[in-house]
Amino acid sequence: MSGMAAAEHLSKNFGRAAAVNDVSFEIRKGEIVGFLGPNGAGKTTTMKMLTGYLPPSAGTASIAGFDIIDHPLEARRHMGYMPENVPLYDDMRVMEYLFFRSRLKGLRGNEMRRNVGDCVEQCGLDRVRRKMIRTLSKGYRQRVGLADALLGSPDLLILDEPTNGLDPNQIRQIRELIRELAAEHTVILSTHILSEVEMICNKVIIIDQGVIKANDTPFNLTRGLRTAGRLSIEFKGDLDEVMREIAALPVVRKVLHEKSTSDGWHTLMVRAEAGTDTREHAASIVTAHGFPLRHVYRHIPSLEDVFVEMTRRD
Amino acid sequence: MTDSDFSPTPLRTRFRDYWGSIRTIYGKELKSYLFTPFGWVVLACIMALQSFSLHATLQMMQAGPVSEGILFYMLDNQTFWFYFLFMFPLITMRTFAEEERLGTLEGLLTAPVTTGQVVLGKYAAAFTFYMLLWLPLLLYPWLSEVANLWTEMRFGDVPGMALEYRLADWLGAFLILFLVGAWFLSLGLLCSAMTRSQIIAGILTIGTLITYYFLGRVTALWGEFPAAPAFHYISCYEQIDAFSRGMIDTRPAVLYVTLTVLTLAFTQRIVDYRRWRR
Repeated sequence: MSGMAAAEHLSKNFGRAAAVNDVSFEIRKGEIVGFLGPNGAGKTTTMKMLTGYLPPSAGTASIAGFDIIDHPLEARRHMGYMPENVPLYDDMRVMEYLFFRSRLKGLRGNEMRRNVGDCVEQCGLDRVRRKMIRTLSKGYRQRVGLADALLGSPDLLILDEPTNGLDPNQIRQIRELIRELAAEHTVILSTHILSEVEMICNKVIIIDQGVIKANDTPFNLTRGLRTAGRLSIEFKGDLDEVMREIAALPVVRKVLHEKSTSDGWHTLMVRAEAGTDTREHAASIVTAHGFPLRHVYRHIPSLEDVFVEMTRRD
Repeated sequence: MTDSDFSPTPLRTRFRDYWGSIRTIYGKELKSYLFTPFGWVVLACIMALQSFSLHATLQMMQAGPVSEGILFYMLDNQTFWFYFLFMFPLITMRTFAEEERLGTLEGLLTAPVTTGQVVLGKYAAAFTFYMLLWLPLLLYPWLSEVANLWTEMRFGDVPGMALEYRLADWLGAFLILFLVGAWFLSLGLLCSAMTRSQIIAGILTIGTLITYYFLGRVTALWGEFPAAPAFHYISCYEQIDAFSRGMIDTRPAVLYVTLTVLTLAFTQRIVDYRRWRR
């Protein structure tokens, strides 16, 4: 076990319903892993099992080489966890809370003060150190949760929906913060916001109905997608002729007529093999006929496409 | 890394870490009793009710000669049972139920502390607060001392005029209050760990305590019967009577210490079990 975190055949049943079913993955040091899935897919359950809070029905997990069942305390010492919705003690002050948490994590004396000070600075909590947690805005609560996870500089950060319920500016700030943290920590974060994952994660795990559907880099995931070589082309002229000629290109699988406008513009949708670029060829076919061409677009697959394709129910 | 990579931590360090975590939780919990209005409201209510007991006791003492000390009558009193039994749900109902409702239990149990440490820390804080609630009772021997002085100055040394109190009464009374309280608090903790609603935890606690109280009164209602000694043995009513007369007995001490340890162990299992089940 060289990884920072590993799940081995994790399963969790709630009554007769399987929330997570035989999930295995490994996370190496320094990775930022995005944990994706529709609501109720088992993201939170998997994360809770990883932290040791929820015991798995079958299988096991380890943090920094420590089994979460046989050596729970050692495993917990190596991780910082921010639960979903960031539960905090409302009647404590920010610094009081952070000192309490750092003492729980075994820090004492000057080391503790230095560490808490660092986390406060890193998470931009300076302005609210003396405030009651009850009076904090959602964004600040989230930062307190993040600072809490950071206490004791754990190797692994497990963040369950760190940007949930924040406004776009706050999301951006938290995202920047996570990106900074990634320099020194391994991070696992779950989210619905796919662009977020695209921006900060270098590995994606997609989970649906308790099963892992994909586990790869965002680049590899999008490359292998069906939509990867798709092309849109809009021109004016002989529709059938162009369609026939484009269909004859070697990597093209299918040419579909998408729509035509009343003034004679036709839009074609060209399905080509993944990872190919037929823009040039298609365009030259149109221009060789002397037809006007006003739009050629190669569909760039996003994680959203991957996500939809993997978790679609139809 | 494998298991063989562990170098065993020295026992002293492990011991220090173990109690260190308990102390951290203890400190936080005790603060939440003392630095919120809650604790002071409870204290105020209890002192108000105690003053009723005191008033009733003094009136009785005015009416005619009595055989026991002032403390006995203060604890052998209807008002006493009212506030005494209701103290425990008030003190303990928040402990686990509130943490579970807020979700902070998750943070607590994913920190490097064991469930046992959490239970012990919370229990110790509840017990400390409970002991603080009885401190005002210590005012009364002092008050009776003042009253005795005043009487002596006014009327001279008249036998029968001084308020009698014996050290054994006070020792016994505090001892039994702490012993019974120790178990009742652990029961409250257990009830709180069983639910996420404070109200249900409180009702569960007071229900259990009232049941236990009436088990101790069974012999008073039904008279003596073959199984009666068992009811006498567990009667907290009779125990408090005896102890506040200065008759200190080791049997209730064994009973309540044992029950407390068992209940706390059970509480720890319940906290874990509720996690395992979900």
